[in-house]
Order: sequence, then C-alpha cells, then structure tokens
Amino acid sequence: MNAQFKKGVLKLLVLVLLDKKDCYGYEMVDEISKSISISEGTIYPLLKRLKKEKMVSSYLKESQDGPPRKYYKITDSGKEKKAELVAEWFEFSNGVNNLVHDKMTDDNLGDIKDEEG
Amino acid sequence: MKKDEYIGKLTKLLRKLPKEEKQDIISDYEEHFMIGLEKGRTEEEISEALGNPKTLAKQIKAEYMVKRAEDKQSAGSMFEAVLAATGLGIFNLIFVAVPAMILVAILLTLFVFGGAMVFSGIYITLASFLQPLLPQYNFNIVIGDGLLNILGGVIVGIGLTILGLALLAGMYYVTRCFYGLAIKYLKMNLEIIKGRR
Repeated sequence: MNAQFKKGVLKLLVLVLLDKKDCYGYEMVDEISKSISISEGTIYPLLKRLKKEKMVSSYLKESQDGPPRKYYKITDSGKEKKAELVAEWFEFSNGVNNLVHDKMTDDNLGDIKDEEG
Repeated sequence: MKKDEYIGKLTKLLRKLPKEEKQDIISDYEEHFMIGLEKGRTEEEISEALGNPKTLAKQIKAEYMVKRAEDKQSAGSMFEAVLAATGLGIFNLIFVAVPAMILVAILLTLFVFGGAMVFSGIYITLASFLQPLLPQYNFNIVIGDGLLNILGGVIVGIGLTILGLALLAGMYYVTRCFYGLAIKYLKMNLEIIKGRR
C-alpha cells in the first residue's frame, strides 16, 4: 500500500488496540500485521513517542514462559486522542469511499478508464 | 540476519544516542526477538519483518532529535533534528527547505537590524548628553548647542531604542512561533511509516 496512506494510521491502530486491553509490543505488531503490512520495527519508536506524550504508560509484567514483558497501557489523554483520531479516520475514509463508490457506479466509468489510459 | 547481528548493527547505528536511551531501545528489540522465537519464528524471519536496521535507526534518531528540539529549544537542537529528519528523506527540498531557509535568513537579518537600532539609539541618547559636556571629544554626532537640540537628540535616541526593542520583542515572538511550527511539521512527518518492501 502507498506509504502516504499509512501516515498516522499506525498511531490510531495502536491506541485502538490498547483501549481494548493492555498489550506488549509484539502482540500489537502481530495484530496489526494481520491487516496491513508494516515494518514491524517501527512500532517501538512510535510507542516510545506515545509514552513521552503521555498517551500510554508502560509496566513490566511476568509471563508464564520466560522473562517479564513490557506492557503498555492507554492513559486518559490517550483515550481522548483515540476518539479524536477514530472520528477523523471515519470522516476521511467515508468521504473517500463515497466518492469512489459514486464514480465507479456512475456511467462515467468509461471516462475514468480513458483518462487512465 | 541472525539476532546478534541485527542487534549489533542497530546498537552501532545508535551510538550517538545517550546510553540509557539506547539501552531502553535495544531492550525492546531484544524482547521482540525473544517473543518471536517463543512463537516459533526463526531469527531470520524476525529480522526480515523488523525491517532494515539502517532505516529503523534513522527513524529512531529522528524521533529522538525532534523530541529533544521540542524539550530543549535551541538553534543547535533544531538543526540536529532537521538533519536527522533529512536522513529519513521526508523533506521536499524545493517546496519546504528553501522557503524555510529564506525565512530563517529574514529572521536573522531582522534580529541584527533590531540590535543595531537599540545600539545606535543608546549611542545617540548618550552622545547628545555628553557632546556639550565634553567638547574636546568628537562623538560624530550632528548637534547644535542649545538645550532644545540636546533634548531633540535624546528624544530621537530614546525613540530609536524603544523601536529597536519592540522589533526585537516582536522577532522573538515570531521566532518562537516559527520554531513551534517547525516542530509540528517534523512530527507530522515522523508519522509516515514505510511499508515492508
């Protein structure tokens, strides 16, 4: 997918995941990779930034197998930001969908193809 | 790439960051490898999915520098932030960098101009006083003998000083705004994530 499309989306996805439950980094990467392809390493700088911006906090928690893991938890301001980003995202994606849908079902389909060619 | 090689490369690329910061970052990736191995992936698979360590290091450095420029406002930290962000290739040279540089040049010029106004204002004020008192020195200032002339010189001098100070204060404010905008722009650009190639 075009890199520009993903601008800002990772932040939205991370906040949405953390709003459901506390996660460790790998867990989020795993979840996000199911839907969109990302360079998995980019999530850690993002988490670090979100932590500095006080949208998430982190704590260590023992795991059944192996050493403790770093879990992330969303903060109140993180929740606010999430709501804001989700609203923006729906507005944006609905706008694009509507326009694309309208144009694709129009009789103008031929015109679009001509322009592309 | 094996885990040790990947972590080694990343550590080397991040050598410029403070030790604590670096350790914190590296430990995240070590944890990532560990969990990945537990889930049955190979070291090579995990490295591949994490992405090129060079690209990653550039992003980490840019994040760090921009954050620092925001916390510790100075021309130096801004310069480093811009430099680090340039490493990400996010600047559109003609449309962003050139106007930004012109703006910086204008700001600097106005600062110098304001400073010169304050300096010459103070000089004129003092010289207007001192010239009649110390006629043996030449202050290079055109002034008559009468009290009115001296008063005129002082008023012009003080006026110039105040105007200069006002210009400097205004420029300080404009520069702060510009700095804030630059940080905003840099942060916006940090949110671009590159897809896996």
